[in-house]
Amino acid sequence: MGAAPARLFQLRGRRGVSSQEGLGAPLLRVSSSPGCLLRWCPCCFCLLAPQILEDYLLVEDVPLLEEMAEEDEELDLYNEMTFGLDRDSTEEDAVKTPVPLERSPDLAETEEEPQADEGQPPPEEQGEPQGEGGMEPDAEQVGSEEEEEQLGAEEEHEDEPNDLGDPAVMRAVQSKPTLESQDSAVLDSRIGSVWAEFGKEDMLAMEPMVWGSCPSSIPPHPVLEDKAILQVLETPPPAANVALDFLSSPVQRGYAGSPRLNRPDFRGTSPKSFSQRFLRQSTGYAPPTRFRPLSPTVGTPPRPLAMHFGPMSPSLDPSPFFSPSASSQFNFSMPSHLTQLHPQHQRILTQRQQQGGTVQRYGGPGGLGSVPGGLWVLTAGCGLPRDSVSPKKLWSPKADPYAGLMTCKEKDWVVKVEMIQLQSETMDDDYYYQTYYHRLERKQAEEELMGGRNKQEPPKLVTPFIQKVETYNSVVRIAGSLGQVAVSTCYSPRRAIDAVHHALVEEAAGSHRLRALHRIERLFLQLLEVEEMQRKVSLAPEEQEQKTQEAGRIYQALKIRACSSEEEAEDEFLQVLCVRKGKKLTARLLPHLASEQAEKILLTITHHLPFLMKKDALDESLPLLYSPLNEVVGRMTFSRLIQVLQEITRPLPESDEFPLAMALKNQFGITLLYSLLSRGEGLLSSETPLEPHGRDFETWTDTVFLVARELSQVPKASLVEPLFLPSNLLSLFCRYLDKQTVHHLEAKMECSPLPSEAAMPC
Amino acid sequence: MNYMPGTASLIQDIDKKHLVLLRDGRTLIGFLRSIDQFANLVLHQTVERIHVGKKYGDIPRGIFVVRGENVVLLGEIDLEKESDTPLQQVSIEEILEEQRLELQAKQESEKLKVQALKERGLAVPRADTLDEY
Repeated sequence: MGAAPARLFQLRGRRGVSSQEGLGAPLLRVSSSPGCLLRWCPCCFCLLAPQILEDYLLVEDVPLLEEMAEEDEELDLYNEMTFGLDRDSTEEDAVKTPVPLERSPDLAETEEEPQADEGQPPPEEQGEPQGEGGMEPDAEQVGSEEEEEQLGAEEEHEDEPNDLGDPAVMRAVQSKPTLESQDSAVLDSRIGSVWAEFGKEDMLAMEPMVWGSCPSSIPPHPVLEDKAILQVLETPPPAANVALDFLSSPVQRGYAGSPRLNRPDFRGTSPKSFSQRFLRQSTGYAPPTRFRPLSPTVGTPPRPLAMHFGPMSPSLDPSPFFSPSASSQFNFSMPSHLTQLHPQHQRILTQRQQQGGTVQRYGGPGGLGSVPGGLWVLTAGCGLPRDSVSPKKLWSPKADPYAGLMTCKEKDWVVKVEMIQLQSETMDDDYYYQTYYHRLERKQAEEELMGGRNKQEPPKLVTPFIQKVETYNSVVRIAGSLGQVAVSTCYSPRRAIDAVHHALVEEAAGSHRLRALHRIERLFLQLLEVEEMQRKVSLAPEEQEQKTQEAGRIYQALKIRACSSEEEAEDEFLQVLCVRKGKKLTARLLPHLASEQAEKILLTITHHLPFLMKKDALDESLPLLYSPLNEVVGRMTFSRLIQVLQEITRPLPESDEFPLAMALKNQFGITLLYSLLSRGEGLLSSETPLEPHGRDFETWTDTVFLVARELSQVPKASLVEPLFLPSNLLSLFCRYLDKQTVHHLEAKMECSPLPSEAAMPC
Repeated sequence: MNYMPGTASLIQDIDKKHLVLLRDGRTLIGFLRSIDQFANLVLHQTVERIHVGKKYGDIPRGIFVVRGENVVLLGEIDLEKESDTPLQQVSIEEILEEQRLELQAKQESEKLKVQALKERGLAVPRADTLDEY
């Protein structure tokens, strides 16, 4: 288990251990027993007090309790500082809890209940996630035991499970045998029919009151069980309205129309309090007076209490909960040295302050009250914003008794975690989010320039800023202690062994293909860095240099061996090119390379063109390369051009076929060919000095003739349409060929006819 | 309105009826009650819907907790449009039978195909050797 302390709970129920037994009662300890559910803060992975699902009873020493509780507190504090979770808000809420709210349900039940401990239960109740109402008493009971034992630690303990922000935590279950047997995969098929009942028509037609009432046959077991609920749903009792009077009226008394709503998860409180009472009544034991005391002798309430212990009363208008309400909701406390306000935050926060509560975001006001620096505030609200509930939507929270199972706090928590994930230095972590905002900013900057409007602040997400702990202290020494405590945080989980990371031996990684894939991935990452460098608008000369260096490095890694006669399967660059991503890599790399390097790539590709075309037959991704290669061609000198063309026109060793002929049948091939020819023609007709070497012109002419011949021979059907048809090809042919042939070719290539024949020199 | 523009979040989808497609091919329909940062889902009043041809059958399942990584996609169901579907609902037994038949037919055709390939001396395409790029 680890160094984190095990918290000890006492379970009643099965073994008949009364809650009123003192510490001599058997206590449960989490050990390696399998039935224990460990609670941990999902972000920190620090072990919190474990919860016990099944009861394994072991006797444990009492004094340990206190010690462990202290350590718990430390962890709590740490988490709180990191996340600023709702300890304070809970307490605030407790304080601000409208007393009428708490009282009115009570009043409905029994008039004589002392309100002594009013303040105490609410933190417990409201803080907890909505779940099995049946578990509440136990937890409270348990908590109360501990409070008796430990002085001054009680509130934290009570709040602790919730404060650490893990709404997923479930409390220990007071289990009766029937509970466990419930989980069959196919439940009562009545559910289906219930669902049909629950269809949209019913939603409309269903009275708000119906859901909560129950027949007298409701099983006393409070657990949210479909079967139980089925019974409830299927037999709407006659006394519907009567049954829920106590529910609706006090609630409405307390709430209706009240804009000041401080308890976003109100719905958790009232039904829960009912449930507790209900349970206590049904199980018949007297809870300690810490909680809302009930006389154990109170029997089943005169009115049937069919509690859905989670969901809120449908009679309530949910909108107060979700509308902008007192800003106290969202006051996550404290600036600590760990949570600092991001500079962008500050701007936005002050903005919001000015705008006041008029900013309607997702239901939450974002209103802050006083915001000292160092406060981080989530603008996230919870539930449905009013706007989004369109009139067409029939499934409104009003009609859905299970709505709101996920409390505001939980939603906020999830949102918080998501926003934390958005913070990152690199683009890799959340590309879409970053790009979205870059684009938005750019657009607004443009608008600003054009429209001359006032500078609009792009609505940024207010993300919680967390300073990451860079250093890892594997051993923490507590002052004055004799030993070491190994602290785990989410950034430095406990290091069990000092494992040294060995570089992967790629070469032994198996097949060629796998190796090629590995290389592609590695090089792609490098390419992304190069592009990142490129993206910086102002590139200082040394950065430029650095960029070309990086690009050069990738080029070297590609191991391009132009015009090698080596077996193509051995050529690593070609293997890379066989993969679509490899082609993409090359295509994106080409613009960043020096012209020599780029030309070398072009040369290699043309040299191995038949091989590449054959490999590409399935994938058809060669056209990816066309565009950057076209750029390269466009910058080539005449002699280099001739070199490349020679590659296409040299006869293949094995067959008589020219690569040329094959190229004509492949889209990429033919386009590349046209592009080369076009460049040549462009150069020739441009009057710039060509500086030809040796037999360049002759080779050129030969090539042109060869191409023309092939074109005329190839049946039109197998001639593929190129991606792009340069316009000067015909004039090229005109230069060398007779009119008839040119016409023939024109028809074949489906070029647009030249402007005027008379103007042609041929 | 999305209060986290530029991001996708399931917060808005809570308490709405969803159709969830899982990686193992199952289709679940239920009310989305709770989520977490991994997109683990809690579905309420879940029904597993099996489609065979033009028929479908619903198996009520109750409450589902789905681990986020197993979700392929999910989408909200428009309650108004939910019922106009050309598909025909049948009983559970019938749809399971149909499914079994369909599976059987597929297996047989697969067997024939493999047989034919073997006869011609061709390799049987296996998932692990297919190109992924």
